Amino acid sequence: MNAFDGMITGFQVALSWEGILFVLIGVIVGTLIGMMPGLGPISAIAIMIPITYGMDPAPALVMMAGVYYGAVFGGSTSSILLNAPGISGTVATAFDGYPMAQQGKAGKALAIAAIASFFGGTVSVIMLMLLAPALSSVAISFGPPAYFALMLMGLTAISSLSEGSTIKAMIAAVAGVMVVTIGIDPQTGTQRFTFGNVNLFDGFDFLIIALGLFAIAEVCMLVLNRKNRSLSDDQKLGSLKVTRADLKEMSGPMTRQSFVGFILGVLPGAGATIASFISYIFEKRISKNPEEFGKGSIKGLAAPESSNNAATSGAFVPLLSLGIPGSGTTAVMLGAFLVLGVQPGPLLMTDRPEIFWGIIASMYLGNIFLLILNLPLIPYLAKILSIPRPLLISLVIMFSLIGVYSISFNVFDLYMLLVFGALGFAMRVFSFPAPPFILAFILGGMMEQAFRQSMTISNGNLAIFVDSPLPLSLILIAFFSLVIPGLLKWRSRRKLAKM
Amino acid sequence: MPLTINRRIALLLFVIAAIYLFLSFQLPNYPYAPIDADVIPKGLGILMIILSIFLFFSKAIETEAEKEKRNIPKKELLVLLAVFAMIFLYILLFEIIGFVIMTSVFIFFCSWFLGYTKWKSNIIVSILFPLGMYAIFVFALGISLPRGILPI
Repeated sequence: MNAFDGMITGFQVALSWEGILFVLIGVIVGTLIGMMPGLGPISAIAIMIPITYGMDPAPALVMMAGVYYGAVFGGSTSSILLNAPGISGTVATAFDGYPMAQQGKAGKALAIAAIASFFGGTVSVIMLMLLAPALSSVAISFGPPAYFALMLMGLTAISSLSEGSTIKAMIAAVAGVMVVTIGIDPQTGTQRFTFGNVNLFDGFDFLIIALGLFAIAEVCMLVLNRKNRSLSDDQKLGSLKVTRADLKEMSGPMTRQSFVGFILGVLPGAGATIASFISYIFEKRISKNPEEFGKGSIKGLAAPESSNNAATSGAFVPLLSLGIPGSGTTAVMLGAFLVLGVQPGPLLMTDRPEIFWGIIASMYLGNIFLLILNLPLIPYLAKILSIPRPLLISLVIMFSLIGVYSISFNVFDLYMLLVFGALGFAMRVFSFPAPPFILAFILGGMMEQAFRQSMTISNGNLAIFVDSPLPLSLILIAFFSLVIPGLLKWRSRRKLAKM
Repeated sequence: MPLTINRRIALLLFVIAAIYLFLSFQLPNYPYAPIDADVIPKGLGILMIILSIFLFFSKAIETEAEKEKRNIPKKELLVLLAVFAMIFLYILLFEIIGFVIMTSVFIFFCSWFLGYTKWKSNIIVSILFPLGMYAIFVFALGISLPRGILPI
């Protein structure tokens, strides 16, 4: 099936009444949760997973994808209006978006963010449509050693690229794999670290980890910050109008940073947050008037917004074509696939074309919906920011508890949710990044299986990982990805400090 | 050498890793697999021990922002503990008393406890939300939630 036929299949899914409805639900929920400062896309996806139980996989996954890119789209609203980023991918949006809002041009800032997001998202989907099938057809020949090396690369990349100390990120990742070893080993049937407790035989469901480490931990942070300001009722947004001159000014950064964002999204570990920072610095550096940045520059707002949305669609390339997540968020997306009995990877395109192409096609639609939601409807949507924090906290706790209960009907899992919530909170307090943990948890099981399968093939000879060029080069990349981004991060931080 | 917060965490991690490693060595053998179930856990345990040593001796100084994050007033920590206690009580009781009643009670008291003073809207939300969720899960998704003492 070529890309053209594929897209016809995809649009048949996306433009069916079910497809349209679930894309719409996905992007609305994503936008709303993404707007909430403190609640990120991981929580948004994890909270929505229980809703998909028993659903047809294609519309369900179309919806989950919508939640993800909707959250990135919506995160900019609170960055601009409150200077409190809805998600980490929109931190850079506040640099110029909030000053614009303070100058009484909040409406214009929201409109520019929406247009830039739409543009970045759409350009990126076009590239996703071209790149994902190509990568799928290459990846189909990968054996267990190559897969192990790929996953190792993803894990080292996220550890080296996450905020703060690389050692702490690696500790988080190793801890994530440790947790996944709890339960019955699928290859030998050996019980590992279960202490004879029946509840631990199957290990921890990833939803417990995702909701605990993110939703519950984020709620804890919200409890501490509950007195921070929310949107007051009388805040004026101002006109949403964008002039032709504005459009002309933003067209350059928007086009360039859509490509930058997409590439960074495809690469393991980077994702929306890093893409938005890099794009911001990029545009500031090439700008003729860099002093305007930080004071309400249209370019400074358009750059991170097109970049973070482009990165979001870019992240679907490795997820759909290799079945390997490159970030914490796509790891939870992978979990959403597995819950529905769909294994993403090179076979997805041929075995389940309606899902593979349906998701891609739905993103065109989703971006149009998001543009409508975030342009004419934004004054009404922004009202959700005035929802009182205490109420929001109680409701998110309830959503998490119901979500976990509905997977197993086991109260033990709810207590574990509390335990991982406390762990996630402690990690935030002591500056250990949580995304490497969830990525390692999801990849850990797959990695162990791939490692042991490779060892079975080679009869226990480790040389299988360095004998053929592909695993060897991937392992080398994994090694360098630990070294080089550390240097880059150090440099960019110095640059940011100078700004 | 001062015992900074990172050093304390490193010691804790070292102890956890040592216990994990000890347990990995207790795992039974399975003779028919080239790589047995204990290989990866042993590797992870050793890796964690190495990382905790690295963390202990790392020269990175805590940034101001990191210190700020750690600086939580005692009173706020108690509030957080109270919220956890409420969730604990909820988990303990909701299969017995039932989803709708417990959820209503939880949302109302938790929101009120955290400083939500609008009684009327609090009551409305804490009644409508559980009913709505119950309807979605039980009737639309076919996932049963504990009925408890209510007849529906």
